[in-house]
Amino acid sequence: MRLIQPAKTIALGVAAVLAVLVTGTGAAWASGVAMKTGLATPVMLADKKQTAYLKVGLTGVALEPGMRRAPVNVAVVLDKSGSMTGQKIAEAKRAAILAIDQLAPDDIVSVITYDSTVNVLVPATKLSDRSSLYAAINRIEAGGNTALFAGVSKGADEIRKFAGNDKVNRIILLSDGLANVGPSSPSDLAQLGSSLTREGITVSTIGLGLGYNEDLMTQLSSRGGGSHYFAEKATDLAAMFEREFRRTLSIVAQEVVVRIICVPGVRPVRVLGREAEIAGQQVTAMLDQVYSESEKYVILEVELPAREDGSELHVASVDASYTNMKTKAPDKSSARVLARFTKSAADVDANTDRDAMVAAVEQIATEKSQAAMKLRDEGKVEEARTVLMQNSGYLASNASKFRSDKLSRFQEDNDENAKNLDEASWARQRKTWSTGDVWRVKQ
Amino acid sequence: LKPRLVALFLLIVVLPIGVLAALAFRIARDEREMVEHRLQSVMAGALDDVRGAVARLMAQRFRETGDALRLPSLDPQALRDAGRRNLAIRQVFVLDGKGRLAFPTTAIPLRPSEEQFLERTRGVWEGGGAFLRTGSDRVATATQTLSLPASLQQADSARSGEDSGWYPWYRGTSLHLIFWSREAGGEIVGAELDHVRLLADIIALLPQTDPLKPNPADGAIALIDAGGNVIYQWGGYAVTLPSGQQPRATVWLDAPLHSWRLEYHAPQKLFSAGRQSLFFNLAAGVGGLALALIGLAAYFYRENSRELREATRRVSFVNQVSHELKTPLTNIRMYAELLDREIPDDSEKARSQLEVIVSESQRLSRLIGNILTFSRKERDSLVLRYSVGVIDDVAQSVIANFQPSLGACGVKVDFTASAGGKVRFDADALGQILGNLFSNVEKYAGAGGVLSVTSRQAGETTTIVIADNGPGIPESQQENVFAPFTRLRNELTEGVTGTGIGLSIARDLARLHGGDLRLLPGSPGAAFELTMKTPAASAEGAFE
Repeated sequence: MRLIQPAKTIALGVAAVLAVLVTGTGAAWASGVAMKTGLATPVMLADKKQTAYLKVGLTGVALEPGMRRAPVNVAVVLDKSGSMTGQKIAEAKRAAILAIDQLAPDDIVSVITYDSTVNVLVPATKLSDRSSLYAAINRIEAGGNTALFAGVSKGADEIRKFAGNDKVNRIILLSDGLANVGPSSPSDLAQLGSSLTREGITVSTIGLGLGYNEDLMTQLSSRGGGSHYFAEKATDLAAMFEREFRRTLSIVAQEVVVRIICVPGVRPVRVLGREAEIAGQQVTAMLDQVYSESEKYVILEVELPAREDGSELHVASVDASYTNMKTKAPDKSSARVLARFTKSAADVDANTDRDAMVAAVEQIATEKSQAAMKLRDEGKVEEARTVLMQNSGYLASNASKFRSDKLSRFQEDNDENAKNLDEASWARQRKTWSTGDVWRVKQ
Repeated sequence: LKPRLVALFLLIVVLPIGVLAALAFRIARDEREMVEHRLQSVMAGALDDVRGAVARLMAQRFRETGDALRLPSLDPQALRDAGRRNLAIRQVFVLDGKGRLAFPTTAIPLRPSEEQFLERTRGVWEGGGAFLRTGSDRVATATQTLSLPASLQQADSARSGEDSGWYPWYRGTSLHLIFWSREAGGEIVGAELDHVRLLADIIALLPQTDPLKPNPADGAIALIDAGGNVIYQWGGYAVTLPSGQQPRATVWLDAPLHSWRLEYHAPQKLFSAGRQSLFFNLAAGVGGLALALIGLAAYFYRENSRELREATRRVSFVNQVSHELKTPLTNIRMYAELLDREIPDDSEKARSQLEVIVSESQRLSRLIGNILTFSRKERDSLVLRYSVGVIDDVAQSVIANFQPSLGACGVKVDFTASAGGKVRFDADALGQILGNLFSNVEKYAGAGGVLSVTSRQAGETTTIVIADNGPGIPESQQENVFAPFTRLRNELTEGVTGTGIGLSIARDLARLHGGDLRLLPGSPGAAFELTMKTPAASAEGAFE
């Protein structure tokens, strides 16, 4: 009997590890997206109520050469207000043409420009006649106010002409100024972004120069399910457009929704970083799109009940539903997350999921970074610096603990932010800073 | 002559041009008003079409929201799903039969968006209490307690059977709409519309600005919210609104967006473009006419001044001749008088012949005197030469000069002299006046007549009445006798010669002398009354 107990424990442990391997941290390969779920600490200390981080990661498959990618339906919305005059508009035109050049004849493009009013320069059309499209873009002249809201609204209207979930529906907005015609608060634009996302249209934004409102542009893109880019100089635009178009073309899944249902007794506390809805035991997070060879993840903080040594717990069921852009059909991945309990701290450490821990640290540090920015916005420069210095230490220790380059780079960015809190470099730094934070939250 | 010419110029050039210009201006203004009015009505029509399109969108949204909220059960899951499915809806809510919020409430675990909704709409449930008072027995007053404007109530009355409607409320100037619908059980199911989405959809519906040829003449149309903020603007006229200028046309949207309006703005130039060409045409016409008139006036002026110069030359020629005649005549008279002394007393015939020479030379010198006086008057150089003397003496000497010729005509002279005071006057002028008057008597009075001359003095005025009992002057001609170059034409004047300036000069001299010469009415023959200002000789200093 005395032998049986350990044997039973080992058997249970092996079973648990196997279960974890098969369902928990196992990569569930569906066509297009690989889902990896699990706790950052799949083995936890027994007899203790504690919190853990649950990570759901979705990675887009590599696009095989010769594989037909999903057609895109892109609306390029260009700010041509008075502040764009000169090199800015010239570079914007060049960058837009270079970017559109990457598209295939099947793809659909519309070009919308706005100042005080909106011009649908090129209505949504298949890219069969490039030269007239480029000629139209080259005719753009800058002058007037900034009707950003209307520009995006009209861009969405052009997208709708050919919209469908078999396409990547994307608005790419370039602006260098503050919206001053129509709704112009970050919250209004964020609401527009989320409404468009619900409709299957995503919005990416490119901020040019130091004069634009980065809160408005980042909120529009992050709620709009797209990406935000900061082009400090007009000459950076081509690279930014290129990056955004390449990203758009590499979308393998869209309308990605991750649902985590925690079992009774496990309390979902909060989702780190990104926005999510927690209703009772159910957590829903919108991941919008998954790009090829790139991971998007959700980190959920959960509170686990105290369990005895050797026991295991089914923590949650996870499923991710999305539109598979390869098959152009709805698709779904499911997994179960398990936890095992032990008395050995070494066991806990040995089983810690390094990637998941790095992700959790990244989100926690991003939250601190945003808190520091809020302090700086309120004029509390020293308090902001203190928070950033603490964050720097936190990132440094975790970077070395998990040997993570990602966290080291984050620490460098964090230190750069701490160095540039003074007024002289603030306009520029705040844009770099918020752009970096949004990328870390939304991946 | 000059001021008269200016007046004439004004009359024939400036006046017609002025009248024409005024007319042209009126035409142009009427034209502009017409164009403006027409354009405004066209624009109001265009705005009205936009209003209609927005109204249709709102009606559609009303239907769709109503359909989305027609649920088999009102449990939270169904309500949440309904809200999630419909992009136009931001939050679904339910009021129970007593008007209390039944969903979302803090009684169940809420999502952050639902908590925000409660926070956001607190004023709607508390302040207005709008939905709280819509008990099942107060269906009829439901729209009233929502404090909807009349237009909205009308819009709702069409759906009163369904008992549903819009409830607009404002956060700042931002309009938020709540759709509400009464269920059979008395509950109200409603939804807060996503106001940002509504704006985006309305903007998507509205026209864009033509990118290829933005024409400022198209003007600009703006959708403006309750706070006067431009929501959306289109049209080729690049104007930053509010521009401070009055819109050309304004149309208010229908309920529930009745606090929003459409404004049409157009560049000032749009209206002045047509006006300018009209103005140009009118100005060219008026200008051409003005040139023609000025040319005509200049032609007449030249003609007139040439004639004037001609006349002046003639007058000066006559004047010159008269002067030339004066010297030999004086010599003739002087030698005739010298001869008179040489003639022996018994030589009656020679004496009478000499008298004829003297009287004829006197007549000639009077004639020349008249011509010289007239020409001086024409040159405005007629001046009097005052000297001290006795009026009656001068009158007597003139009468004496005329005695022979009057006697020859059979006219008796009756002189009643009562102006014997020493006064200052121009003896030559007086002589000329009397000579001209007597000469007329001599010409017209005829045989058997009496020339009565009566002089009197009162204060500084000397009056001499010269009357005859001849045929007189017809009443119709009495006005004209003093005009120069006027000679009465009737049987009496036939065969009588004259220059026609005698009476004119006589009166001019009298007036120059501070008096007048006038025809006395009511006398049987011709009776002239001559008055002159003749200050007493002692008052010499005071007069000059």
